[in-house]
Amino acid sequence: MICSWNRATLTALLLTLFATQAQAASVSGSASFQGQAPAAEPIKMEADPSCKALHADGIAADDVIVNANGTLKNVFVYVKEGLSGKYEAPKTPVTLDQKGCMYTPKVLGVMAGQPIEIINSDSTLHNVHALPKNSPQFNLGMPLQGMKIKKTLAKPEVMVKVKCDVHPWMASYIGVLDHPFYAVTGEDGSFEIKDLPAGTYVIEAWHEKYGTQTQSITIDDSGKSDVAFQFGV
Amino acid sequence: MAKPNPSLYSVQKTFFWFAVTSVLLTASLAGIVYIDAKRDWKDYQKAFFKLKAEKATAELKQAASAVDKKELEKLRAEHSAARKTLESNSKSILDLNAKLTAAELEITKTKVVFQDLKQFEDSYRYYYEEYTAHHDPRAASYAAKLAEIKPRVQEAKIKLEKAEKGRDTVQAGLDALLRQEKEAQKKVDQLLDETTRIERKIEAVKPSFAKDLLNAPMLDFIAPTLEIQQVVLENLHDDYHFAKAQKVDRCTTCHMGIDQKGFEDAPQPFRTHPNLDLYLGSMSAHPIEKIGCTTCHGGNGHSVSFIDTAHTPRDEKQKAEWEKKYGWRDLEKWEAKMLPLQYTQAACAKCHTGTVEVPQADKLNLGRNLAVDLGCLNCHKVEGFEGLWKVGPDLTAVASKTDETWVSKWLQDPTRFRPSTKMPRIFHLENQAGADNAKLEDAAIVATAKYLHHHSAHPEVLRAPQGDAAMGEKLIKDLGCLGCHSAAGVTAGTHGPELSSLGSKVNADWLFTWLKDPKRHSATTRMPSLRLSDSEAADITAYLMSQRNEAFDSAAAPKADPKAVDDLILLNLQSKMRHEEAVAQLSKMAPDEKLLYLGERTIAHQGCYSCHDIRGFEQAKSIATELSDEGRKNLHQFDFGYVHDIPHTRQDWIRKKLEDPRVFDHGKVKGYYERLRMPHFGLSEVESEAITTFVLSLTQEEIALEAQDLLTTDEQRIERGRRLIQKLNCQGCHSFDGKDAILRSITEDPGAAPPVLHGQGSKVQEAWLHDFLQHPTTIRPWLKYRMPTFGLTDTETQDIVRYFALLDGRQTSYRGEVLQEVSPDRLAAGKELFEKLQCAKCHQITASSQAMGASFLAPDLTLTKHRLRSDWVIDWIKDPQAMQEGTMMPGFFPDMQSPLPDILGGDAQAQIEAIRDYLYRYDPAAAAESTAS
Repeated sequence: MICSWNRATLTALLLTLFATQAQAASVSGSASFQGQAPAAEPIKMEADPSCKALHADGIAADDVIVNANGTLKNVFVYVKEGLSGKYEAPKTPVTLDQKGCMYTPKVLGVMAGQPIEIINSDSTLHNVHALPKNSPQFNLGMPLQGMKIKKTLAKPEVMVKVKCDVHPWMASYIGVLDHPFYAVTGEDGSFEIKDLPAGTYVIEAWHEKYGTQTQSITIDDSGKSDVAFQFGV
Repeated sequence: MAKPNPSLYSVQKTFFWFAVTSVLLTASLAGIVYIDAKRDWKDYQKAFFKLKAEKATAELKQAASAVDKKELEKLRAEHSAARKTLESNSKSILDLNAKLTAAELEITKTKVVFQDLKQFEDSYRYYYEEYTAHHDPRAASYAAKLAEIKPRVQEAKIKLEKAEKGRDTVQAGLDALLRQEKEAQKKVDQLLDETTRIERKIEAVKPSFAKDLLNAPMLDFIAPTLEIQQVVLENLHDDYHFAKAQKVDRCTTCHMGIDQKGFEDAPQPFRTHPNLDLYLGSMSAHPIEKIGCTTCHGGNGHSVSFIDTAHTPRDEKQKAEWEKKYGWRDLEKWEAKMLPLQYTQAACAKCHTGTVEVPQADKLNLGRNLAVDLGCLNCHKVEGFEGLWKVGPDLTAVASKTDETWVSKWLQDPTRFRPSTKMPRIFHLENQAGADNAKLEDAAIVATAKYLHHHSAHPEVLRAPQGDAAMGEKLIKDLGCLGCHSAAGVTAGTHGPELSSLGSKVNADWLFTWLKDPKRHSATTRMPSLRLSDSEAADITAYLMSQRNEAFDSAAAPKADPKAVDDLILLNLQSKMRHEEAVAQLSKMAPDEKLLYLGERTIAHQGCYSCHDIRGFEQAKSIATELSDEGRKNLHQFDFGYVHDIPHTRQDWIRKKLEDPRVFDHGKVKGYYERLRMPHFGLSEVESEAITTFVLSLTQEEIALEAQDLLTTDEQRIERGRRLIQKLNCQGCHSFDGKDAILRSITEDPGAAPPVLHGQGSKVQEAWLHDFLQHPTTIRPWLKYRMPTFGLTDTETQDIVRYFALLDGRQTSYRGEVLQEVSPDRLAAGKELFEKLQCAKCHQITASSQAMGASFLAPDLTLTKHRLRSDWVIDWIKDPQAMQEGTMMPGFFPDMQSPLPDILGGDAQAQIEAIRDYLYRYDPAAAAESTAS
C-alpha cells in the first residue's frame, strides 16, 4: 500500500511538472462589433409588480450588449477541437443568480459535472428551467428569497438554454464542456483562455443573436496567441 | 431314408443364386450405411461442435488469463500447507475417528434402553387412564408402576443426551482438524470455477475416439453424439390437404447455435437467432419448444436436408449463391415453402389476430396501415378488417367544391396535380396504351366527371370574407393543421391530403364554409372542426387559395370523342342485349344522356364508390377480389400471364402486382372491359415490400386456440379504441400509446406542443374527459394549437374514455372523485403552501397576465376538482417533468425535499397532500367575495 501511494505521488508530481512546462501558452483576443448597435428594447415587467418595482427607471433587454469600446459583451469563446487530454471537473460551483428578475451572469461556462449553484435573490417566484439536449432537463421552482439549489449538467453541450417560465424575458446560456478552456467576453469585449497546451486548435465564438464563428490557430510553447472575432449585421 | 428328388431343384444353381443375392444384399446394405453416414446434417453437426470447441478454447484462454496468478499461487500454497498440517495430525485424526465410532456405539446402546423404557411408560399410562375411566380397581397398581418407571425414563434420557454430547465434542474436534484443508481447497476451486466449467464444456464437444466409435456406421444406434434434433409441437399441425400431421421441427439439427448466445457472427447455419429475449428462449414470448421454427418461417420441418426443407432465397443473388453452394432447386410441388427472410413478419398475424398493430412487427404494421390508409381494404374484402371508413373524400356534393374540368384533368393523372396524393391513377395505364385506347379512356373520364356533377347535391355555401393570406399561413402552423396535413412549406402529417394548389381546385366560398364546419359538406368526413372564427377561416382560405399549380391550370382538359363514347356504350349494352337492340337503344340517347350513362357505367366498372361516397351507388358491392386467405392461395391460381422476368412465387406475384398492377395483361388480347382494373399507387420499394408482407399475412389457417394470442374483452376494447384513434389521427398531435406525435417533433419548445397523453386514464376523471372530447374547451391558455371538435357520437366518446382508462389498467366508472374529510389545520397548511409557493403567480388568469403572453397562463386551478384524479395530482406535484417532458410547471420538491421546513414539520409528502386537499376546495371567486364582505 505504502509503495503504491508513493508511486501515485510521484506520478502526480511528474505530471504537475510537465503541466507547468506546457502551461506557458494562452489565447486571448476580443469580439468586436461592426455596424449600428441595435436599439435595446425595454422589457415590460408589468405582469409581475415585484419585478417592476426593482427597476424604477425601466430595464432594457440583455440579448445584445455592445460595449462602449465597440465590442460585444457575452460572447462565449471556447476550444472546439484539438484537445486530447482528459480534464477533471472542479468541485467548486459556478454561480447563476436570479436578481432583479434577470439572470447574472447572462452567459457562463462550466465543465460537465461541475456543480452550478442557482440562487434566487428576488422576493418573487422564479423557476429555473434548463433545456439541455444531451443531459436530463430540469425545471425547479424557487419561491423563496435567498433560496439556493445545486445542479449539474452531465454532458458537454454548447449552449444550454436556461429560462424562467414565470418571466418570459429571462434567458441565460450555459456552455458545458469537458475541458476548462473557455471564456466569456466582458465589459471590454476581451477574453483570455489560459494554460492551454501547445497545439493546433479550432476556437469557436458563440453569441445568442449573432450565431457562431470559428478560427483555427496554432500555439507553440512560447506563449501567447491573439484571435479576433468580428460580429455584426 | 428317401433321397431327395434331384429333379426338384439344382443344388448348384441354388448356390449360385444364393451367392448372387448375398452379394447384392451386402452391397445394398453397404450402400444404405454409406448414404446414411454421409448425410449433410452430420457434417454440419461436426462443424458446429468444432466451432463450439474453438470458441470455448478461446473463452478458456480468456478465463485463464483473467485468473489472478498470484492469488492462485498463494491459495495453492495455503492449501498444501493445510494438507501438511493435516498429515502431521494423522495420528490424532485416527484417534478421534476411533473415539467417534465408540461414541456412536454408546449412543446406540443408550438409545435402545431409553426407547424400551419409554414404551413401558406409554403402556402403563394407557392402562392407568383406561382403568380409571372405567373405575376398575386395577388402576391403583398401574399408578404405582407409572410412578416407579418415570425416574428411570428420565435417567435413560439424560444418559442418551450425554452420549450425544460426547459424540458432538469428538466430531467438532475432528472437523476443526479437517476444516482448514477443506476451506483452502474450496478457495482454490472457487478461483478456478469458470475455467473448470469451460473445460467441461470443451470435453463435451471435443472430438475423441470414443465419440467416433459411437458415431461409427452400424454402431450409431446405441448412443451417438451426432443426432437429429427435433421439437414436437403439441398444439400445432401441418396441413397436408387431406391429413393433418403434428408439427415436428428438425431445423435445430443443423441450426445448432440458433438458441445459444455467442454465435451472432458465426457462418450459417450456425448463427444465433436475433433477439433471443423475444424468440426461442424458454422465458421469451415465443419459446422454441412451444412455437417451433416453421410456424413463423414456413418450410418443411420434418426434413433435414437443405433442399427438402424448402428454403427460399431472398433474392436472385442469394438464389445463385445457393445453387452453387447447396445445389438448391425449387421444390415445385411443395406448397408451404419457407417465407423469404424479408417477409417473415407475415407469419406474426397467424396467432396475433384482432389487434390494430402487432408489437415489434414494424414492417407488417406499416403494410397494414398503408392498406387501410390507401383504401386497399375499401375494395378488397378481408375478414377482420370490415367496417373501415372510406378513405376518399365524399363526392355527393362535389359540384359545390370544384368543377367538372378539374375532376376530369385530375382523373387523367392525380399526381400531376399533387405528387403526394394517395389517390391512385386509374386511367391511361399500360394496358390502355395506344391512341384508340387513349380516346376511350378520355371518354370514360369526361363521362365520370359529368355523372358526379350531375348527381351532386348543392348545400348552401357561405360567402368568404376577404382574408389575410400571410396571417392564414401562420394560422395553419399555429393551430395544429400540420398534425394531419403537410402545408405552408412544412412536410408534416400525412393523414389528410397535402394542402397544396388548392387555388387551382376549389372555390373560396366552399373552402371557407368547409373550414368553418366540415360536417356541413360531408357528414362522414374525418376532418374535425377547429371552431375557427370568421376572420381565421377567411385568412386560411386566402392563403390556401393563393397556392396554385400553374402547369395543371394550363394543361388541356380531356375531351370526349363522340365515337369513343358510342363504342363504350355499345360494349356495355351488348353485354345485356343483342347487337341490334343495343344499336337501336344507343341511337335513341341524347348526347348528355350518353355521357351520364357512360359515367354511371364507368364508376360501376372501376368501383370508385368503394373509397368515395357517390350518389346512386349507396348499395353497390365492391369489385375487387377477397383477400382473406391470399397468403395461402395456391400458386397455380396466380395468373402470371406472359410475365417471365420475375420468379413464379406467391410473394413475387403480389409485389409485382402492387408495383405495376396492370403488368399481367402484358401480351394478352383483351376487350376494354376485360382488362385488369387495379389502379396504380406509385408505391416506394419499402411500401410495396410492407404491403406484400401484409397480404402474405392474410391466411385463414386454423391455429389451435391454445396456441393463439387471444385477446381478453378489455384488450378487445383497447383495440377498438386504437382503431378509432387511428381514424381520428389523435397521435398526429398527441404522443401516447407508443407513438410519437408529428406535431411534437416539429415544435421547437416541447412546452408549447400539444400535451403528451401517456397515463391520461390515470390523470383525468372520466366524466370530464367525456365532456371535453365532445365539447373541447381551453385548458392550456398558452398553447396556440387548438383541440378540434370531432363531432363524436356518444358511443365513440365512451370508447375513447374507456380506451384511456384500460391503457392504465383501470375500469371506467364515471364516479368522479370522492372528497375525504380534511381537518381545518390541514386546509390552512395547504392554503399557506399555495401562497408561499406562489402557485397563483401562474395559475391565475388576470387581465395583466393575459397581456403578458404565454408564460403567465397556466391551467385554471378551479378546474381541478372536476377534471383531475386526486392521486394523479400528488404524482404531478412531486415531479412534473417526469410526467410531461418539457412542461413549464416547475418541481418544488426535488428529491422529496420541501423548501418550507416550518409547515407540517417539513414533510414533503404531507405538504403535497395538503396542497392537493386545498386545490379540491379552491374557489378564488368565493374567497374574494368573503374577503370583500
